[in-house]
Formats: sequence, structure tokens, C-alpha cells
Amino acid sequence: MLHTKKWLPYLYIAPCILFMLLFVYYPIVENLRFSFYEFSAFSPEKTYIGFENFLNLFKDEVFYIALKNNIWYAVISILCQVMGGLILAAILEDPITRLVSSMFRTIFFIPVVISITVIALLFTFIYNPDIGILNGFLSLIGMEEHARAWLGESETAIFAVIAVSQWQSIGYIMMLFIVSIQNIPRELYEAAEMDGAGRIRKFLSVTVTQVREMFFVASLITLTGAFTVFNEPYILTGGGPGNASEVLGTLLYNSAFFKDQMGYASAVATVILVLSLIFSLIQLRLFKSGEDG
Amino acid sequence: MKKLLILAIVSILSLSIIAGCSSSKSSTASEKDVVELRFFHRWPNQPKKQYFEKAVKEFEEQHPTIKIKTEAVLNDSYKEKIRVVLGSSNPPDVFFSWSGEFAYNFARSGQSLNLTDYVKEDAEWSNEFIQSQFKPFTLDGKIYGIPWSTDGKAFFYNKKIFDELGLEVPKTWSDLLAASDKIKKAGYTPIGFGSKAPWTISHYIGSLNQLMVPQDVINEDYDRKNAEGDFSHPGYVKALEKFMELEPYFNKGVNSVDHEYSRELFKSGKAAIGFFQLAEIGLIEPTLKENLGVFNIPGIEGGEGNPNSITGAPEGIMISSKTKHPKEAMEFVKFLTSKEKGIEQLAEVSEYSAVKGTTNEENASKLQQEAIDLIANAEETYLWFDTAVDIKIVDAYLNGTQQMLDGKKTPEQVMKDVQKAVKDVKSAQ
Repeated sequence: MLHTKKWLPYLYIAPCILFMLLFVYYPIVENLRFSFYEFSAFSPEKTYIGFENFLNLFKDEVFYIALKNNIWYAVISILCQVMGGLILAAILEDPITRLVSSMFRTIFFIPVVISITVIALLFTFIYNPDIGILNGFLSLIGMEEHARAWLGESETAIFAVIAVSQWQSIGYIMMLFIVSIQNIPRELYEAAEMDGAGRIRKFLSVTVTQVREMFFVASLITLTGAFTVFNEPYILTGGGPGNASEVLGTLLYNSAFFKDQMGYASAVATVILVLSLIFSLIQLRLFKSGEDG
Repeated sequence: MKKLLILAIVSILSLSIIAGCSSSKSSTASEKDVVELRFFHRWPNQPKKQYFEKAVKEFEEQHPTIKIKTEAVLNDSYKEKIRVVLGSSNPPDVFFSWSGEFAYNFARSGQSLNLTDYVKEDAEWSNEFIQSQFKPFTLDGKIYGIPWSTDGKAFFYNKKIFDELGLEVPKTWSDLLAASDKIKKAGYTPIGFGSKAPWTISHYIGSLNQLMVPQDVINEDYDRKNAEGDFSHPGYVKALEKFMELEPYFNKGVNSVDHEYSRELFKSGKAAIGFFQLAEIGLIEPTLKENLGVFNIPGIEGGEGNPNSITGAPEGIMISSKTKHPKEAMEFVKFLTSKEKGIEQLAEVSEYSAVKGTTNEENASKLQQEAIDLIANAEETYLWFDTAVDIKIVDAYLNGTQQMLDGKKTPEQVMKDVQKAVKDVKSAQ
């Protein structure tokens, strides 16, 4: 029955493919085409200018500020969310914390389900230079000289934004690791114990090696997230002061909808696409995912 | 059997589609005479949202054949969204617009309808306007927008704090600095300011430029077609320096707080002075009551501009060039800009109408009447700076000034960036 209708399976996946083509691949191709033109949102005709958008982009100092900020975002997110999330998960899965683990799991996970807009607005109050609780806390513990306008100074703005993302997303990555730790066969831990391994040894030799696959997934999520981030910097600083906290996402948005340079914005989008593609490919190679597991 | 079943299902489905089509057709036929207009404005927040809802309802009652569908997005998002929807094939028929370069942009690209004939046709209605308010909607002699409201920028001050410290209303720039110094020593924030959303910077820059730079130089420099105007007059750097003289008197970390925050600082009596729009009197006066005072930006010693000038501009309504019902759309615009609506609008949403004689004792406080006089008495009105020049020049200015406030750039460096942006914009013309 099956082999007589070879086309049937394709029929089943056709709607999905159609939608993917229409809403994912077609826009990508169109975007690539647009990045060779110069046009505004309501200009009827587009002027072909070849690679000029890209040349201008690579000459634009804001692009390098944005790229640098994205790299900071990626590095800090990997360290905080993936490493931190793994450690948190391991602690919460340890028999010692069994009684409180479900409570903490919920506490850490709650920020994930709150809308990013709400969180960003919340943090603008926390960071407020006059009435914010962060500066209030610093002066309470006698570190008043460290109080500053966190979002308003070039040196701190991007890190204040990054910190918000860490706070929000660590719970999500932690949850992924908890699931994967729960799948580790108990025998491995028992065997390690018999060999005289302590808690840290067990964590390093059993947990870390067994969650390798999830490690790959988690770092892929955070890395692509770090290069496509937009909401947090847009709401918290709008890319300012000056361009100090600009990321590629806000650069794209500002060029497209503020300065009305649609072609230039398309070029930024293409660069973001290429960058995140490269990073995922490197990771695929590095972890050789899918071959074991 | 199976095939029969499928055939049956398919035929039922297709029948229902046909049925669906015909039923929707018949319903449109019965409502054939009703014209639907789409209206897009920038106030999804109260009280203006309600004001427009009420106005639309009233209009629909007077004109049973016209239906109006309203959509609204706030400020900065509006600036972005309106550009996109006007470029689409199905733009709103009637839409809100700032004046100056913002409106000219739509006119130049042929997105907005030329309204000159309508204005000329109905002189009874159009003569009621403060005629100067048409100017910022006029490009090459053609009128593209109808002024709905008018506004200006001035310093607001807290009379209670001024009395407490024995201060006079500043008449010159150095008076302002001296007063700010005294206020700071008394433990208040002298001037409330927030530049996270950087358009607030552009209002200071615009006002200071017109005090420091001769008017004819400004006219040349702001004109996007005039390649001679390259922003090289030393007054521009001085204007930025003057702005930085205020910096020690602002609240802490201006780059991290919004305009709304600075308004709250002022309202709650923590800040003694603020640079606000006259329309904001309606928002602040209910809290500060008789303690609220207003003065125009004081003249600067050595400034080459006109000291008796004010920054301010009308905001208005435009009609899309793609509309199928220009007549009905115009009818709606006339309704919104009528004298009765103008009187209502000041009382209900504290926007000054651009129609003459709409501010009176009944619908306005004494201060609001004084404020409208500031606009009427100024020898020269300048547009909001961020709508007066090309957006790329604005961007260079705002980014640079944010960094200057952060101590990362000097006024000379900012002007260098601006001049570069000017060159890019004007060479592209």
C-alpha cells in the first residue's frame, strides 16, 4: 500500500513546507535581494547599488560597537546562563536539596514566563539613578561611591542590559539541564560513589559528561539569542547613550524605521543571518551533535 | 466507499465556501452606500483616546453614510508605523502628522493628498484658522495638512520654590544659571530633564540654536536643498556649550530617564524648573495649581539670533493620496478642526486648537491663556528641531548630545559629526 503511493508522505508535509517557504525562506531571499538596493519604506522605486550597503556597513563605526556588544552578550550569556544554569540544575537535583528543590525550581523559572516588556520596565525602575533600589542598596551597605546611572553611562549601559537577560533566562536553561540530569542513569552515580568520588568529582565526571548533548542545545539557544537580541536593549536604553549599547538588532531597527534606510537595514539583517549561521555550524562541528545520544 | 466519502466532504466544503461568498456579497450590497474611512492617530492613551472615540461617534451620527474605523499607536511607534502603512497598498484615509519635515516627507513622496482646493473652496471654515499655522504644512505653495493643534516650548517653574528662595523669574541666561545654582544649594533639583528618549534634546537644541545663530543662517542650514548651508556657523557650537552649562543643574543620570520622569519630578515639587510643552500645562496644573508659572527661554548674552522667538508648531491631519473617498475624508477633517471641537479639545485634552478664538475664560485657565499669548506674541516661531531638519542630521545631533551629556564628546566633536551628516544628506539631493 505504502510503496504504491510514494507521493503521499510529501502531501502530508506539503502544508508545512509551503508555510516555511512562504514565511521563512522567501523573506530571507527577498531580504538578501533588498540588501543590494537603496530605498525608503514608501519610495516606489528601488535603486540598485551593488555591494555599497555592505561596504558602508563595514565602514560604519556603530556596526563595530554593535558587534562588540553582541559578542559581550554571547560571552556573558554562555558563562552565566549555560555554566550557571548547569550548576544550578546540579544543585537542585542533588539529594540534599530534595525538599526545597521544587520551590526553587519555580522561583528560578518564573522570570522566564514574564513578558520581556514588563521585565524591562521593571528594571528601568531598579536602575533609576534617583529612586532605583540598586543605588539605594549600594548606599545602604556603604558603597555609595559605586552608585551610578547604570543605563545612562556609556561604560555600564550594555552590561546593565546584559544583566537583565541573565536574570531572565537562566531559569530556562536550568530547566533544560534538570530534564537532562534526570535522564542520567542512577547506576553511574552509584558506581562513581563506589570508586570514592565526592560531590564535585561526581558533578565533573558524571553530570557534565552526560549532559553534553543538552550543553550543545543550550549554548546554541543562548548564542543565537545573543546575536538576535533586540527587546532588552530597545526598551532599556534604545541603544543609547549615543550608540554605546547598540546591538545589531537595534542598529537594524534604527536604520530601517528611524532613518528610513531600508536597504541598509536589509544588509544588517543579512550580516546577522550569516553570523548566526556560522556560529551554529561551528558548534555543530565542535559537538558533533546527533552522532551520539 | 472511501472515495465517495471524500467526494462528499469536498463537495460540502466547496458548497459552503460558495454559500459563504454569496452571503457576504449580499451583505455588502445592502450597505453599499456606507463609506468606510480609516483614521490613524497617535493617542492610544487617555484622555485623548476617549476624546477621539466620542468625536467619531458624534460625526457618525451626523453623517449616517460614513463609518470611521480608528487605529492608534503611541508617539515614537507612530513615527515608525505611519511610514510603513503609507507605503503599503492599503493606507489609512485620514491620518495624523507632525508638521515641517515630517509632513513634507509624505508630500514629497506623493503619499498625501493636496488639500489646497478644499481649503480655498470653504473659506468660511479655513479663515477661522490662525493663518500662520498652515505654513508648516505647505510645500511649494500647496497645502497638504490641516493644523489641528498648536503648541510651544517654554520653561515651567515652581513658584513656591522660587518664593521660598527669594528668586525672580530669569530674564537672561545668566539669571537662569544663577537661580539654578541657588536652587541646587537649597537641596532641590534645579532643572528636571530626561534624555533616554532623545527627542527632548532636540527641543533644547532647536531653541538654543535660534538664540545663538542668525535667522537667515538657520534658514539656509535647515533647508535640505540648500547645499550652502553646512552648519558651520560658530553659533551652533556655542548653543551646545550653553546647553552644557545647564548640565550640572539637571537631575542625575539624565540619559537613563524619560521625559515623563522629569515631568513627575517637576510635578512632585522635587525639581524647580522644567522645559516643557505648553500643552503639558493641562497635565501639571491640576497638581501644582497656582504654584505653576511659565516663562519663555531667556535671551542669551552674545547670541546672534532673535531673542523674542519661540519653538513651537502645529500638529495636524493629512489625507492619504490613495483614498477612494477624499470628499468624505475632508468632511471628517473639517469636523475635527471646527471651532466647537477646538473649544472642546482644550477643555478635555488640553490641546490648543489652531482655530482663532478657541481659548477663553471658560475652557482655559489663566495660565493657559498666558501660554497661548506666548505663541501669538513671539516674533518668530521655529518648528520642532527634530521635524525641521532631515532625520539623519537629527540623529547625529541626538546621539552626539547624549554622549556629550555622558562626558564622552565635546561640543566641537558633536558639531563635526553633525556637519558630516549634513554633507551626506545634502550631497544626496
